[in-house]
Amino acid sequence: MKLFAAHLATLKAHFRIIFTYRGMMIIQAIRLILLPMVLAAAWLSIEKTAENPYSDSDYLLYYLLVPVILNLTDSRLVFRFPLAVRDGSLSRELLKPFPPLSGYALESIANNLIQLIYLLPFTIIAGYLVKDRLLLSHLSLQLLLFAAVAVALGGLVRMLISGSISLTGFWLEDVTTLNLILNGGIWALLGGMIVPVATFPEHIRRFAELLPYRYMLSFPIEILTGRLSTTEIWQGFAVIAVWSGIFALSMRLIWKRGLKVYSAYGG
Amino acid sequence: MQALEYRGSFAFSILANFFDFIFGFLQYLVFFTAAQSIAGWASNDMLVLYGVFMLVFALQFIFLYPNLVAMGDMVNSGNLDLLLTKPVNAQMLLSFRRISLEELGSISTAVVLLSWLVYNGTIKLTAAGLALFAVSITSAMLLVYCLFMLLMCLAVILERLDNMAQLMWSMFAVCRYPIDIYPSRIKFMFFTFLPFAYVASVPATALLGRANPTTVFAGLGIALAATFACTMLWKKTIKAYTSAGG
Repeated sequence: MKLFAAHLATLKAHFRIIFTYRGMMIIQAIRLILLPMVLAAAWLSIEKTAENPYSDSDYLLYYLLVPVILNLTDSRLVFRFPLAVRDGSLSRELLKPFPPLSGYALESIANNLIQLIYLLPFTIIAGYLVKDRLLLSHLSLQLLLFAAVAVALGGLVRMLISGSISLTGFWLEDVTTLNLILNGGIWALLGGMIVPVATFPEHIRRFAELLPYRYMLSFPIEILTGRLSTTEIWQGFAVIAVWSGIFALSMRLIWKRGLKVYSAYGG
Repeated sequence: MQALEYRGSFAFSILANFFDFIFGFLQYLVFFTAAQSIAGWASNDMLVLYGVFMLVFALQFIFLYPNLVAMGDMVNSGNLDLLLTKPVNAQMLLSFRRISLEELGSISTAVVLLSWLVYNGTIKLTAAGLALFAVSITSAMLLVYCLFMLLMCLAVILERLDNMAQLMWSMFAVCRYPIDIYPSRIKFMFFTFLPFAYVASVPATALLGRANPTTVFAGLGIALAATFACTMLWKKTIKAYTSAGG
């Protein structure tokens, strides 16, 4: 209970810290919105291949939601943690009677939630502007609930992957390259950023559905487009559960080993 | 030069840039698994666009980007004050003080990609085409410099600017796809007030031999005007700058 109160207090503190840098949040919002808008324009002007199932309405809904989901499942752990190892501020965290990784995770969550304040108005306005071309009649409470759970799980898996990568910061001086490949590159290609996963040719789609990346972005939106059956949704949840297990375990292992190597700089 | 002191991390960043390029390339391949052509651009045309885009941005990353990062730090730490008191042109010093050689990897891959496209016949080299390309790439570089200046001013105003690499990239996400994909009003905007069209699309059309000379020279005019305006804005911003704690 005490630990829970400590978590809550830390989360609140992060909320306040982040609010002092509002200018940065607006820039961040622009960053999140731009590429999806470009991609939406791109997809609306393509000549489709025969097996591509998405209509214009699907593409619009998809890329309207991309910035929101992208933001909610984002994890800053990978930028923060290696820095803490390098500048030694991790030592300070380790002394506190509070799980050190939780602090970074909470900062990330606080950041993502506050970012919504700057993102949602844009999404709502953009949605209103294209409302004649959006078909939303299929939305039900059940779909919304499924999507919310999917976002939470997607965020979890992303945090665990980022966490595992950032913990290699105990050994590597620079984890950004590793992050770029595992978390950035493959994620952009097969997670549904550039191409919605559902519109891939069959063999690529099958493969992407087994990787964890689809679940951080494409999956919640696919649920909302109403094109997934309940069985497919549960299958998706199962895949996320497996990946979460794998990465939670690997994070734990790396953490234990890493702490033994860690001696702070100058130690 | 500063980078050469840390050789291990230098090699790593070259590798990172290489992967950046590869992933950028793969994005187009993946894109065309679900699309046949986009606003009249076939997949080979898109590669020309990507080659030009990479060329412009590699140059930007070599010459401008390291200075921008340094600027963000300097405002935050107050070191900017020291620099402003020096009896030299602060804009020039801040713009070109550092260069980053890490991007040599991506510039050479961009050149290889473009050469290959010449070889396979997508780019047909003609004197007129090359001349238009030279003019349009100059305007492109000037416009990128303008964006750089705007971000520098923003760094001074906001007092904190990190994650600049990502910000730069996303600003230029607009240039990664041909300007023809946008609805006509937005397209008009990109050719005039927000001249993103001239950064990659117009030089690419010059290489593809379908550029309109009027557009190319309009681009040069806009680029020159924008450079002038940004220099003015920079001077104003520095005048209003009150330093850390001010």
